[in-house]
Amino acid sequence: MSAPAPLVTVIGIGNPYRRDDGAAGVVVRMLRERFGDDQRVRLVELDGESVRLVQAWEGSSQVWLVDAVRSGRPPGSVHEVDATRLADLDDSGKRLGGGHLMGLAEAVELAQALDLLPAQLRILGIEGVDFDHGEGLHEETALGVTLAAEQLSESIRSALGHEERLHLTR
Amino acid sequence: MTHEHRARRFEVEALTRVEGEGGLIVEIRDGQLADVRLRIFEPPRFFEGFLRGRTFTEPPDITARICGICPVAYQMSACQAIEAACGVEVDPAIRDLRHLLYCGEWIESHVLHIHLLHAPDFLGYPSGIAMAADHRAEVERGLRLKKLGNRLVEVVGGRAVHPVNVRVGGFYRAPTLAEMHSLRDELRWAIDAATDITRWVATLPMPEHELPHGTTMVALQHPTEYPMLGDRLVSTPLADGTTIDIGPHEWRDHFTEEHVEHSTALHGRMLAGGDYVVGPLARFALNAHHLAPRAAALAAEVGLPTGERNPFRSIVVRAVETLHACEVALAIVEGYREPARSFVPVEPRAGVGCGWSEAPRGLLWHRYELSADGTIEQVQIVPPTSQNQPAIEHDLMHLIEHSLHLDDAELEALCETAVRNYDPCISCATHFLDMRVIRS
Repeated sequence: MSAPAPLVTVIGIGNPYRRDDGAAGVVVRMLRERFGDDQRVRLVELDGESVRLVQAWEGSSQVWLVDAVRSGRPPGSVHEVDATRLADLDDSGKRLGGGHLMGLAEAVELAQALDLLPAQLRILGIEGVDFDHGEGLHEETALGVTLAAEQLSESIRSALGHEERLHLTR
Repeated sequence: MTHEHRARRFEVEALTRVEGEGGLIVEIRDGQLADVRLRIFEPPRFFEGFLRGRTFTEPPDITARICGICPVAYQMSACQAIEAACGVEVDPAIRDLRHLLYCGEWIESHVLHIHLLHAPDFLGYPSGIAMAADHRAEVERGLRLKKLGNRLVEVVGGRAVHPVNVRVGGFYRAPTLAEMHSLRDELRWAIDAATDITRWVATLPMPEHELPHGTTMVALQHPTEYPMLGDRLVSTPLADGTTIDIGPHEWRDHFTEEHVEHSTALHGRMLAGGDYVVGPLARFALNAHHLAPRAAALAAEVGLPTGERNPFRSIVVRAVETLHACEVALAIVEGYREPARSFVPVEPRAGVGCGWSEAPRGLLWHRYELSADGTIEQVQIVPPTSQNQPAIEHDLMHLIEHSLHLDDAELEALCETAVRNYDPCISCATHFLDMRVIRS
């Protein structure tokens, strides 16, 4: 019998060879150190292709998509939005998805069309500066990565704690 | 509505994407087609420079990041080129695992292209998502098959995206027998699914059209296999009646890359002159006799002639190739024994090595110059899209010249579909193009 699907999935989207675009991958690797052994948490690094996104969160009720973004806010800022509201954002908000917005928006639409949306699907955007070819994060983006990892750790612990409390009360 | 006496200029501007950017400009003056220019941004140019000075073991991991859709192709071409430079040949069992890994990538890439990018064109939907509302069963079947492709890449490559288990000389770890056997049931389902997909796409309405006269088809060839990994590069007859039949080190004797003003991508050219295409149509034209049994029978059943030259029918060839990949994958999985070693040790030496493989969208050639300690001195990476780019432009010209009676919207839709025939790396982006008609 296969193992039950993880409760929480965190998907880091990006390319480590496009500098700050690699920010989400670093977040996932930081989370792996904290939750890597927990079967209830799935941590994935992807490139933003829509079908892979949908299939990566399959079975999880709480999903976070982490992506580097460029919205004009201060570098290293961390934004959180409900992914199902991407289509409602105004023009400035639409930049929030960074280079992978179309993959994200398409993934959400595809999931909606096929009834594959998780109960909670949120995007955590890390404001980047430099998306040129090359390795390494901008200093301020790296601070945003730490902030995002802390914020996500809190959210994951809270989700896991909530599940444990549910088990105890059953 | 016709526009015979007006100047028409179509500009198809791609949104910026990390994996690929592109655009298409079509100019029509006085009812005559004046110019077609396809603009493609191409990551390999950066990676060639990025790899110089690195060590010979790094290209499989680094080049896998060039494309999110076909990382395996980059890894396989890189490994073979470096192994050639170091004078190493891998064991047959390792080659089988590479073949299986490649089957996963073909399945994933082809199924994505068929269902979310190309079938919607023929059925008149703006996207695969819109198509899913009316063709949910077909889209769900496609996504399940794509997931199997992911799974194959994950089992052999260690990760579904940008596999991490690939190394020069083979794999860090060979899959266990249990891991391989876990794939069998789904592969059996996949063979039936791919058969149904082929029959479905063969019924899609598509334009009658042929590649321009004189376009040469170029693909790898193997003595016994339909080529994912192949020994020789062969062609249909060139203008002078001769054909190409070369090894990887001879690529530069027959082909070159040129800068063109309107694109950051290099354009592939045959030194003998004329356009050439790589990809499914070329593979099928030159290798149909090596398709797996059910794929070969199905190609005949759906009326795919050997030497099919209608680029719109490439979707049918992709479906046949998907079935072929499923059949090959099942055969490899069923015959699998854990190999005595998962990699052949590779010691660096000074030299030049070339390697190639058939990415889902066509030939991908790599060349590495190594110093004695394994430092990479020079790199050349020739991806399929840059090779196809001149032929795509000429194919579009040929198509548009015969379609000038269409109104702007119809012509734009036809052009987009025609570009997607070649499944260029920008094809994902072309569903989101901000299409404009500029009249002057």
